[in-house]
Amino acid sequence: MSNEVKTKEKVNMDPKYIAKLAVTLLVTCVVVAGLLGFVNKLTLPNITAANEKKTAEAIQKVLPELEGSPVAMELTEDMTAAASGAGATVTEAYEAQAGGSTIGYALKIVASGSQGNIEMMVGVDTEGAVSGVSIVKNSETSGIGSKVMTNQPTAKGVGVLDQFEGKTAADAPLNVGTNVDAISGATVSSKGVTTGVNAALAVAGVIG
Amino acid sequence: MNFGKQLKEGLITNNPVLVQVLGMCSTMAITTSIMNGLGMGVSVLIILTASNVVISAIRKIVPDKIRIAMFIVVIAGFVTCVDLLLQAFVPAIAESLGVFIPLIVVNCIILGRAESFSYKNGIAASFVDGICQGIGYTLVLLAMCFIRELLGAGTLAGFRIIPEQFPIGVLTLPVGGFLVLGCLIAAMQWALSRNKK
Repeated sequence: MSNEVKTKEKVNMDPKYIAKLAVTLLVTCVVVAGLLGFVNKLTLPNITAANEKKTAEAIQKVLPELEGSPVAMELTEDMTAAASGAGATVTEAYEAQAGGSTIGYALKIVASGSQGNIEMMVGVDTEGAVSGVSIVKNSETSGIGSKVMTNQPTAKGVGVLDQFEGKTAADAPLNVGTNVDAISGATVSSKGVTTGVNAALAVAGVIG
Repeated sequence: MNFGKQLKEGLITNNPVLVQVLGMCSTMAITTSIMNGLGMGVSVLIILTASNVVISAIRKIVPDKIRIAMFIVVIAGFVTCVDLLLQAFVPAIAESLGVFIPLIVVNCIILGRAESFSYKNGIAASFVDGICQGIGYTLVLLAMCFIRELLGAGTLAGFRIIPEQFPIGVLTLPVGGFLVLGCLIAAMQWALSRNKK
């Protein structure tokens, strides 16, 4: 081995040598950064399109009556405050229209699950009732928390995500155990989704 | 350079996972379905081969003192490229592998091969080494995926093989990963020591 660690190695303080090290590293980084910029430029349109398509599909799922493409709304301070008051974060908001009038809002909410953040799209209609919940991104435990993410039925036979449909701000705060059923063994994941729905209701309350 | 010998090393006698015991984190985390294993294995194979070639090409101008930093810059560059390309062209795989693609940067198989092989050998040999070690890694991933997906979830590449009520769910959890990997390493070591006698 030529690269063994020597404990009492003499440090070479020659300025020329140090400059050579710095320049070599700098040049490498510049070349790599340039290459990455090129790849990024090449792939960016596709990545943006894929993300937009995914968002549109999630919105369509929670507000099935949607016609045309949803309109992105600007997040106001009231909306973010309402979400964080309910223990989650709102990252995107969309207004969905059909037949020329607003039919509801789709809110992208991030709440914490058992293995990190759960990103979900929650649809709330103009009456203030939840029209659907769809999970966009999660890292819940496969086989346990993932049951919540894929809308498996609870002990009562209703899909764990479907049970939120029709809930309004009057039912809030929704709580696992009182008016929400958890999937057994996946209480933390169920609670995460519930927190997200509470936040969505709070945000919708500020909008409407 | 001897392709056959290097292939044998990558697959069996110096297999990156079962003999060098490198890259445990990804091996444990993503081997829950065949598609994941294939995506991860091929990604690592491509990155490993590319970084091996580049590191071998620049090995004579890299000062010894900063070689590790240089390796990391090169590897991180390739990983980011693959990450972006996956997101752009096969979003389904990018999503199911999630953070484990960016984490290939710190996959010790790649840094390990850079330090122990491509920094000391020619470009052609490093290229072959990257492919052989990559195939070795991919095959172990696929074996893990096969066992864990079939027995743990009862499916293979998404198709149901075993009825839903029978699979051993624990195999898809991290603890199942440790069990399967432990058994594979034990089997490999047994086979190797038996061969020696």
